[in-house]
Amino acid sequence: MNIELQNIRFSYGSIKALDGVDLMLGAGACGLLGPNGAGKSTLLRILLGFLKPADGEGTVLGYDIRHEPFAIRRLVGYMPEDDCLIPGMDAVTFTAYFGELSGMPRQEAMKRAHDVLFYVGLGESRYRMLETYSAGMKQRLKMAQALVHDPKLLFLDEPTSNLDPQGRVEVLDLIKDISSKKDINVLVSSHILGDIEATCSHVVILNKGQVAAQGEIEALKAVTYSLYELRIKGSGDGFIRALEGQGCRIEPTEDGLLKIYMPPGLPRTALFTTAERERVQIRYFVKSRTSLEDLFAKTVGVD
Amino acid sequence: MPIAEQGYAHWTGTFVERRLPWWPVTRLGIRLAFKRKFFKFAFAFSFLPAFIFLAGIYISERMQDFQFMVRGRQSVNFLNINPAFFRSYFTADALLFIMVMLMVLAGAGLIADDLKQNALQLYFARPLRKRDYIAGKLFTAFFFLLSLTLVPGLLFILFKLIFAGSFKLLVDFPWLPLSVIGYSFALTLFLSLYTLLVSSLSRNRRYTAILIFVIYILSDVFFGIFYGIFRNPYFSLLSIKSNLQQMGAAIFGVAPRYNIPWVYSFLVLAAIGTASGFILKNKVRGVEVIR
Repeated sequence: MNIELQNIRFSYGSIKALDGVDLMLGAGACGLLGPNGAGKSTLLRILLGFLKPADGEGTVLGYDIRHEPFAIRRLVGYMPEDDCLIPGMDAVTFTAYFGELSGMPRQEAMKRAHDVLFYVGLGESRYRMLETYSAGMKQRLKMAQALVHDPKLLFLDEPTSNLDPQGRVEVLDLIKDISSKKDINVLVSSHILGDIEATCSHVVILNKGQVAAQGEIEALKAVTYSLYELRIKGSGDGFIRALEGQGCRIEPTEDGLLKIYMPPGLPRTALFTTAERERVQIRYFVKSRTSLEDLFAKTVGVD
Repeated sequence: MPIAEQGYAHWTGTFVERRLPWWPVTRLGIRLAFKRKFFKFAFAFSFLPAFIFLAGIYISERMQDFQFMVRGRQSVNFLNINPAFFRSYFTADALLFIMVMLMVLAGAGLIADDLKQNALQLYFARPLRKRDYIAGKLFTAFFFLLSLTLVPGLLFILFKLIFAGSFKLLVDFPWLPLSVIGYSFALTLFLSLYTLLVSSLSRNRRYTAILIFVIYILSDVFFGIFYGIFRNPYFSLLSIKSNLQQMGAAIFGVAPRYNIPWVYSFLVLAAIGTASGFILKNKVRGVEVIR
């Protein structure tokens, strides 16, 4: 396991940021999802040793998060969410500098900086001063400094923020390439569900400082619930109330459909018997392909 | 340019445990300072007092050639190369002012720039301890300040010995090299901590630059005002410059300018230095934690 956490708790004063988090993350790319304030950034900071948990134990790549943060940081690359740079430097010097701080010999760090900058697509502009970089270039630069020491595990905090659509696609391609072909495990923290779905095979959903769901995305989507989309004719109020009484969650969509999340154990024939009883006609019926968005909405309890 | 044009290869080298993990931080700080506009000129100019005093040492050994310059007893006294001569250099208003200005140019942004650009989290995502980061920044300031204190001080002794062709200076004042080293480090340590403290108080380099200058000047102005009104030398404890001069006089074994125990000045400077250490410890962290 790359990351193992047991009962991690952390509070900012009276506010509980993490409340008994248990995690087991293996190889590959994993997404860390959650609404604002769910504890994603706090979790990353605890994994890096920036913050000490009030309670609980954990390891990253086999190293204790409490007692061996420096060993962890040597093997982990971190791409923060905020813009971070050191003014007055060019990209090569900047990237090599952080390689050196990671423990690489100076000359090797410099050579490696060139390679990594080409890899992230900044090869042509690697001698430009960082102050002149666009938002997308800064994002790639952060990726380069996280990769320069060839980490075993990469923490990416909102990797596509501030990017235009084309830049976003390129960075997502890069993350996919890193996690699938370069033997580097990736933990992507993001609130953009599409980014997680596009790059990760596993997901951890945090809500109010607790793990609301974790596992393989496809498996989670398949077993947690069934989702159907219907269009009905007739007064739907009684129909909706009756279904809600049976444990379904119903969301009307903008195009006049009803998305119905069926609880486990309730057969889909219940929809038809309820419709007959409430005297509505079902004009359209399809088993919807559940998206990560649906899973997220269901798990976190938001629309 | 398309991403991954050059591919990605794993690094096959091995990490090294640096004996001086702060050295890359110091090296970068020095390098970035020299990249700043006018800094090279300012740094070169800051050696002017040292050249003047060096010329004084040369003249002191060639008095017969420079008789036309000696018009009174004061000049002769000035050219006596003794601890008072060294004290004159190390506690000169001009030198202290130049050192503060150098810190304004090279030291104001040492931490402020990292705070502004959120770079601390990049530093601390590496196997770098907080004390190594602070030491790296501190030694950046050390580099510039020691080059104006320790280096000229030792060169003065060396050149005096060369020009005189004897060891009389060291025979008469055997503790002088230790005084030079001790005061250079004390002065440098204080000014470095003072600079880093102010630099950590704001994210804006301009504010910190102004603060470094204004606090130094105002502390002396307040001393001047209170001393003018009350004629009490203890008000010199308000002035950073006067405290440094009092400590310098004590270390070089010369009568202090103000008639108060030098220990008080030392304690004031030590208190500011200690407070700087505590504040730096709290201000420098990988993440901003608001509780």
